Amino acid sequence: MIVEELRHSYGAVEALKGISFEIRQGEILGFLGPNGAGKSTTIKILTGQLAPNGGRGSVLGFDVSADDPRLQAQIGVCFEEKNLYEAMTGAENLAFFGRLFGIRRLDSAALLSRVGLADRADDRVKTYSKGMRQRLMMARALVNAPQVLFLDEPTAGLDPVSSDSVRRLIREEADRGAAVLLTTHDMAEADELSDRVAFLNDGELYAVDTPENLKLEHGRRAVRVRVRRGAEVTEESIPLDDPDASRRLADLVSAGQVVTIHTEEASLSSIFIEMTGRELEG
Amino acid sequence: MNEKGSRLSIIGSIVAKDLREYRRDRLWTFLTILVLVLMAGLFWVLPDTVEETITIGVTGLEETAARALADDGALDVVPVDTVGDLTAIIDDRLQAWRTPDDSVVVALEPPSGASKVDVTMGISFPPDFFTDPTVASVEVLVSGAVPPEVRTALAGVVREMAHAVAGSPLPVSAPEALFTVLGEDRAGDQVSVREQLRPLFVFLVLLMEMFAMSALIAREIADRTVHAILVTPARISDVLAAKGIAGTVSGFGQAVLLLVAIRSLGPSPLLTAAFVAVGALMVSGTAMIAGSAGKDFVGTLFYGMIFMIPLMIPAFSALFPGTASPWIRALPSYPLIRGLVDVITLEAGWADVAGKLGAVGAWCLALFSAGWIVLKRKVEAT
Repeated sequence: MIVEELRHSYGAVEALKGISFEIRQGEILGFLGPNGAGKSTTIKILTGQLAPNGGRGSVLGFDVSADDPRLQAQIGVCFEEKNLYEAMTGAENLAFFGRLFGIRRLDSAALLSRVGLADRADDRVKTYSKGMRQRLMMARALVNAPQVLFLDEPTAGLDPVSSDSVRRLIREEADRGAAVLLTTHDMAEADELSDRVAFLNDGELYAVDTPENLKLEHGRRAVRVRVRRGAEVTEESIPLDDPDASRRLADLVSAGQVVTIHTEEASLSSIFIEMTGRELEG
Repeated sequence: MNEKGSRLSIIGSIVAKDLREYRRDRLWTFLTILVLVLMAGLFWVLPDTVEETITIGVTGLEETAARALADDGALDVVPVDTVGDLTAIIDDRLQAWRTPDDSVVVALEPPSGASKVDVTMGISFPPDFFTDPTVASVEVLVSGAVPPEVRTALAGVVREMAHAVAGSPLPVSAPEALFTVLGEDRAGDQVSVREQLRPLFVFLVLLMEMFAMSALIAREIADRTVHAILVTPARISDVLAAKGIAGTVSGFGQAVLLLVAIRSLGPSPLLTAAFVAVGALMVSGTAMIAGSAGKDFVGTLFYGMIFMIPLMIPAFSALFPGTASPWIRALPSYPLIRGLVDVITLEAGWADVAGKLGAVGAWCLALFSAGWIVLKRKVEAT
């Protein structure tokens, strides 16, 4: 997926101000930004739902502005809202979308099994919990074994078990070779899943890099050590570039005084705030 | 699969999905069945005969004279003893009953074996009517609901009756009336209420389909499921075509089912089906507009009513004899209703109703195109 100087405006409001990035096959790009940053607009353009005002986007060699159904045949989209047919069963939902992709005999059971819904296949979606609906949304995005996946907040509001299940699926798809564009508010999720992250705010991209590089670039090479001295617990920071650092750490460890040791690398959240001046939430 | 086959397959899948959703919507399924059963039941309950005789109660007239008045068969003259009785009959305080020996009895309850006589007006002839009918005054008794124009007309009729009863010629010689019957002359072959209601029943079924389809469309937009379809190889034109087909198939199927149930496909079932099919397509177009405008059940109901009321007017106008006003004839449903009346009731053929079929086709094209554009814009904007 190649995006070059992509622009879009809603009237006088500039939603995208010329963003550029790439995603390779098998890569997960975490797309991070607060509400109104331009994430959904980007996904709408790249999935062919919206024509850009400027720049270009190319997915699997197809120009996204060309409205070519061959592009949609190879992508999967998981929306933030649970837009499922509630009067239909989970299996019927998948079978219907399979037919739209030209798949006459979809193995719905296998897909539902992957998302842990095999035993609810014949139940109507209106009886599903929020987590089950989200997992069905993921299954729906996978009916055509897509080469590119667009996932908009796929774990928002889910319990930890459902979240883990969805994250495992995302990783499996990337391992299969799918390129994944993942938007999320969850920094830990982005950190855990993303090969690279992109910071988007007010329609502008502030950074596109691996989480590790960003943390190294914006954090401190130091460890924070909590030490017990008698009844008192104190903290001290040891810069890793200090020539004396290894001796100081070794002394603390050998004296048996260390309670905890943490690196002082920056979090993605703090880097986002530092770069954009905005909180990620809201 | 080639491109055309792929498009047809996609449209077919969406149509099948829409019909399945429609079937599973308990409210609309219930209402659809209810309307079908109600219409079919009502049809068979309604009388299939036409009352062509006007019954008049008279006082002060000898029975032989009364019988003479009723000679032409259009009038049933019922002699009543007193003006008080006649007034009570017209006022519904008493009833006239015809006994098995053909005499008329005025009472509140029916005598044994008597049948009710519906007296619509009364005429009281004074005692000196036969000696000097030109100066005598005749009292005409009508219910308060009879409008003044009809009362004036009745006065004219009474004057002529007076001359006939007294054996006096009219003071002037009246020209012979020359009747020009517009349309098919149904004299002696009048259409019963049941037959008149057939197009109304068919149209009600189609309108019920309009409400159901608009609710389905509104839900598809509100739940944003249509967006999930549009990120597959399906195009917006496929979705719109599928909605049109699903609405038309469903409406057409229900209307034909009703026509079969009431045995009213007419002498030319293909022609009847052609009108019903075009009508179903027309209401699908209006369903697209109503479904795009309304956000929920109440919203679609509101916008559906905005279309339903003007579309229903021609159906009701078909119940009444005479030519419809120009503004009624300008309504989109008028050629559909008139076409159905002509084909089913008046047994018209293809050549007779080609113009009406063309007109309803043009309206259908206009409404469906409008629905297509409105729904497309709505989907693109959300």
